[in-house]
Amino acid sequence: MIEASYAILVLMLTAFLVLEGWDFGAGLLHFVVGRNERDRGVVIAAIGPLWIWHEVWLVAFGGMTFVFFPAVMASAFAGYYLALFLLLWCLILRGVAIEARGHMRDALWREAWDFAFATSNLLLSVLIGVALGNVIRGEPLDADGNFTLSFFTDFGVHGEVGILDWYTISIGIFTVALFAAHGASYLAWRTEGTVHDRSERLARCLWPAVLTLLLGTAVETARVRQELFTGMIHRPLAWLALACVAGGGLAALVGQWRRRESAAVAGSCVLISGLMAAGAVGVFPVMLHSTLAAGDSVTAYRGAADARGLRLALSWWPVAFVLAVSYFVFVFRYYRGKVRADTDAQGY
Amino acid sequence: MNDPAFWDRLQFAFTITYHYLFPQLTMGLAPLLVYWKWRALRTGDEGYARAARFWARIFGLTFAVGVVTGIPMEFQFGTNWAGFSRYSGNLIGQTLAMEGMFAFFMESALVGALVWGERRLGARAHFGAAVGVALGSWLSGYFILVTNAFMQHPTGFAVAADGRLHLASMAGYLGNPWAFAMFAHNQMAALVTGGFAVSAVGAWYALRGEHSGQARLFLRSGITVGLLASVLVAFPTGDIQAKMVAAHQGPALAAMEGRFHSGNKAEINLIGQPDVRGQRLDNPIRIPGLLSFLAFGNVQSDVRGLDAFPADTWPTNIEILYYSFHIMAGLGTIFVVLMGAGAVQLLRGHLEQSRVLLWLLLSAFPFPFIANTAGWTVAELGRQPWLVYGLFRTEQGVSAVVNSGAVVFTLVGFVGLYFVVGLLYFSLFCRELSRGPVEAPHD
Repeated sequence: MIEASYAILVLMLTAFLVLEGWDFGAGLLHFVVGRNERDRGVVIAAIGPLWIWHEVWLVAFGGMTFVFFPAVMASAFAGYYLALFLLLWCLILRGVAIEARGHMRDALWREAWDFAFATSNLLLSVLIGVALGNVIRGEPLDADGNFTLSFFTDFGVHGEVGILDWYTISIGIFTVALFAAHGASYLAWRTEGTVHDRSERLARCLWPAVLTLLLGTAVETARVRQELFTGMIHRPLAWLALACVAGGGLAALVGQWRRRESAAVAGSCVLISGLMAAGAVGVFPVMLHSTLAAGDSVTAYRGAADARGLRLALSWWPVAFVLAVSYFVFVFRYYRGKVRADTDAQGY
Repeated sequence: MNDPAFWDRLQFAFTITYHYLFPQLTMGLAPLLVYWKWRALRTGDEGYARAARFWARIFGLTFAVGVVTGIPMEFQFGTNWAGFSRYSGNLIGQTLAMEGMFAFFMESALVGALVWGERRLGARAHFGAAVGVALGSWLSGYFILVTNAFMQHPTGFAVAADGRLHLASMAGYLGNPWAFAMFAHNQMAALVTGGFAVSAVGAWYALRGEHSGQARLFLRSGITVGLLASVLVAFPTGDIQAKMVAAHQGPALAAMEGRFHSGNKAEINLIGQPDVRGQRLDNPIRIPGLLSFLAFGNVQSDVRGLDAFPADTWPTNIEILYYSFHIMAGLGTIFVVLMGAGAVQLLRGHLEQSRVLLWLLLSAFPFPFIANTAGWTVAELGRQPWLVYGLFRTEQGVSAVVNSGAVVFTLVGFVGLYFVVGLLYFSLFCRELSRGPVEAPHD
């Protein structure tokens, strides 16, 4: 039951990262692929009508964390207090920028919000990468499952760690590259004209870089959390996840070169899902890893809600998820095809 | 300021008050949108379709601000109220997760199609999108209110060996009678906001002599909904809610009415200032026996004053609680009178000539927001000093590891950010208003 809850949580987070990864990636490349106001309008049209739908997956992930693992949520959210608010503020700024931009036809107005939009997406990508790096590296948990983190300490990965250290920063950089490639593939798939051409060129350069960086981060991770890899050996699911990483990476790389745009996008989604799944399977059942004493780590078994609550949530979740998938199909069909700035901008 | 949870409480109060300005408008507008879309579908009258188009744009703008200001609300349960999340997460996690999974998904998937998809979807499917968005927004409200109702009047729980709350009965938790009373009262209050907003925009166009057909429709729909909701928000929903407070939150009722001393034939104080140190109400104007009647159905009933309860169960800020309740009730009365007058003039066909009344309808639009805010202030301050009524005190709920300096920092950040968001919302709203309900459907 706890395993199923854990899997659902990983699924929700993965859905958020895959969907919102398009927005983050397209957003941080905003000025790179959109050299003039018209082209930037195309970028906005490709994600403008979708960002709320994508962001809701974060809300749903937060809600499911609360219902399945309230004690984990309480420890982690309080411990990462300032970092989380930074993330929330960037999300607010990003949403406001998309909404505000389209409402006035004024070059300076649009340039200002374009800048806010690109900056907040870049920051969000870094923050999410650093956050994932933190989860892998662990937190200085005490015996009660509490911790506080400074922004940085000595940039080391053991003992009294901070949010930023050499490892989490490198994961942040990797995430920026990954979202950029993911977003570039998405833009190449959804747009036409100059934005399409620039995104395609960019995606072709970015995917080899991402896959190289991925090897580097894997080596780093083996140093920081060895048990992530030793845990994988006896878990067939992890092998499946790693196959997804390899297959997805290959599909993204080759698809982009052969102009199979939807194959590249699908590969990119599979790659991100595979990475999330591999990491999640490798560290299970530890949810919050203590850098001070391994015995103080909070496992899924220790942090879960009571059995009746879990059973209940597991009984209504499939219903809600089927509904969510049907909305997903609706949204996907409704917004399918290439966007054109003049008719699809929808006021953005 | 001796309260260790002071900054956490202030931050939550500020962010939730600000956030709720937006959902109350979307929940209030949603049924009106459904109504206009339905009329347009049935009669083929372009006026209804145009009204729906205009208000769907306002809805979309308001919804977006509601989304971005709503996400911090969910996260604050973990960041600032970790103690509370640990203690009662087994219960309140259920409804907070259901809100995201059942309601919010539906609303956010369909809102884009509602605002922009009229041509692409066709009339029937577009009407369906309006229904879905309305359903999603009201369902969202229900799940949040079940969560709050648990804090006001806990049901369906058991205390486990480790002192935390466990879910004993889902039916008991979701079917909390407090939640039904609160949902009915709150949704009517949201409809008051929606009705007043629509009639205010109608009055604005009527006073300026613009868009006369749409102005008439806005006035007619807004006043109808506004009058119905203003009556229903007081009776029966407000009445039921007050009786629940009387039955289960004695100290809150006493503080709301500034009633320091017990006794029968309890009076309602129309105005007056509570003097907590002196344990009395200064300069009151009272109606004897009315409080006894409203709370227990009999003018002779004994209504306990604050003296009947231990001082450590009194609400922590009696003055604000008292004034908020009186502002809410006073405004509610004015709403009925104003909307009643509007309805009379509407029926006589004189409304568009009575400039005074139009001016009143126009300038009334902020007051439902104030009344809603005051009402929630009553609910939340009346619950004090408890976080979960009778079980768990507010100061036990804060995150022990977060120092107050960090909370002051994030509070100041929210104030700054929300100020910018408010300015933008207001200017974008004004742009929509000056553009007017003239648009053809979007491609």
